Amino acid sequence: MDRKQLERWLEEEANGRDDAADAAFAHLFAAVPKVQPAAPFVDQAVAAALRWRTRRRRLVACAWAATLVLVGIGVVLAFVGAPRLVTSVIKAMAFASGRGVPWLVAYMTVAMGWWWTLGHVGSVIASALMTPARVVAVVGVELLGILAFYALQRIAGAERLGDAQV
Amino acid sequence: MSVAPSDAELARDALAGSEAAYRELVARYATPAVNFIYRFIRDRTLAEDLAQEGFLRVYQRLSTYDPQRKFSSWFFQVLRNITIDYLRVHRLPTASLDELEEEGHRGAAMDRESVSPERAAQQGELAVAMSAALSRIRPEYREVVVLRYQEGLTHPEIAEILGLPSGTVKTYLHRARKELAEILSGSGWNTSV
Repeated sequence: MDRKQLERWLEEEANGRDDAADAAFAHLFAAVPKVQPAAPFVDQAVAAALRWRTRRRRLVACAWAATLVLVGIGVVLAFVGAPRLVTSVIKAMAFASGRGVPWLVAYMTVAMGWWWTLGHVGSVIASALMTPARVVAVVGVELLGILAFYALQRIAGAERLGDAQV
Repeated sequence: MSVAPSDAELARDALAGSEAAYRELVARYATPAVNFIYRFIRDRTLAEDLAQEGFLRVYQRLSTYDPQRKFSSWFFQVLRNITIDYLRVHRLPTASLDELEEEGHRGAAMDRESVSPERAAQQGELAVAMSAALSRIRPEYREVVVLRYQEGLTHPEIAEILGLPSGTVKTYLHRARKELAEILSGSGWNTSV
C-alpha cells in the first residue's frame, strides 16, 4: 500500500468523482492485510464436522433401532391380543348401537314433528302477509334500514378520519 | 490441466460425504471467514471460534444450499447471522472503540494508537492506519467495505447477504469511503490535498 495511491484516492473523493474514487479505493484496499486464521484451523473445522456427522449417524441408527423394536412389539401384541381386542371392540360397538340407535330415532321423530309444525305455522303467516301492499311496505322498510345503516357508516368513517388527522 | 472444482461442486460432494471436498471448501473460506468476523469482534481467537461455528453450521445445512446461488453469498449470510447473534447476546458495541478497550479488546486499542502517521510510518504500514480507520466506521458500512473490497463480491451479492436493496449497498459504500477518507485525512495522511 503506497502513499501515492492513498493520495490519489483522497483526491478523487474530494473532487466527488465517485467511479474513480471507487476504483482507486479498491486498488488501495486490496493491500490491507487479511486476518489469517491459525494453522490448525482447517483441521479443527473438518474434525468438528466429522464429529457432528458421526454423532448424527449414531443418533439416526438409534432412532431406527428404537422404531424397529417398537414395531416388533406392536406386531407381537397384535398377534397375541388381536382376537381379544376385536371381540371387545365388536361388543362395545354393539352395546353403544343397542342403546344409542333407539334414542336417536326417538329424538329425530320428535324433532321432525316440531319442524313440520313450525313449517306449517310459517306457511300460514306467509300466506296472510302475501298481499302486494304489505310486500311493498316490507321492502320499503328494509330499504330505509339499509340507507340508514350506510349513512351511519359514512358518518362514523368521517369521524375516524378526523381523529387520525388530529 | 485439471480445473479446480467450483464451490457449488465442492458443497455437493461434501453433502455426499466427501471429507476432501469439505476440507477444500474450508481451506478456501477460512481466511475470508475469520477476517470478516474479526472486523466486528476485534478478537482473533473469538473470530476463529465463531468462524468454526460458522463452518459447522454450513456443514449441517448443506442440504438446504441451492447450487443456483453463489456459495459465497450463502456462506457470508450464515457468518453474518452468527456474528450478529453473538453481538446481541454479548452486547458488544461494535461501533465504539472506547467501550471495546474497556472490555479488554486490545486489538482495537492498538489499532487506534497506530492511527498516528508517525507511528504507522515507523512501522511502514499505511495498511495499519486503513485497518484502524475501518474499525472506526459504522458496522454496516464496515461489512459492505469488507465484502466489496476484500472479498470482491458484487453489489447484488452484498445486497442479498445483507437483505438490502442494491442501491442502499452503493450508498453505504459511498458513505463508508467518505468516512474513511475523513478519518485518514483527519489523522494527517492527506498531505497533498
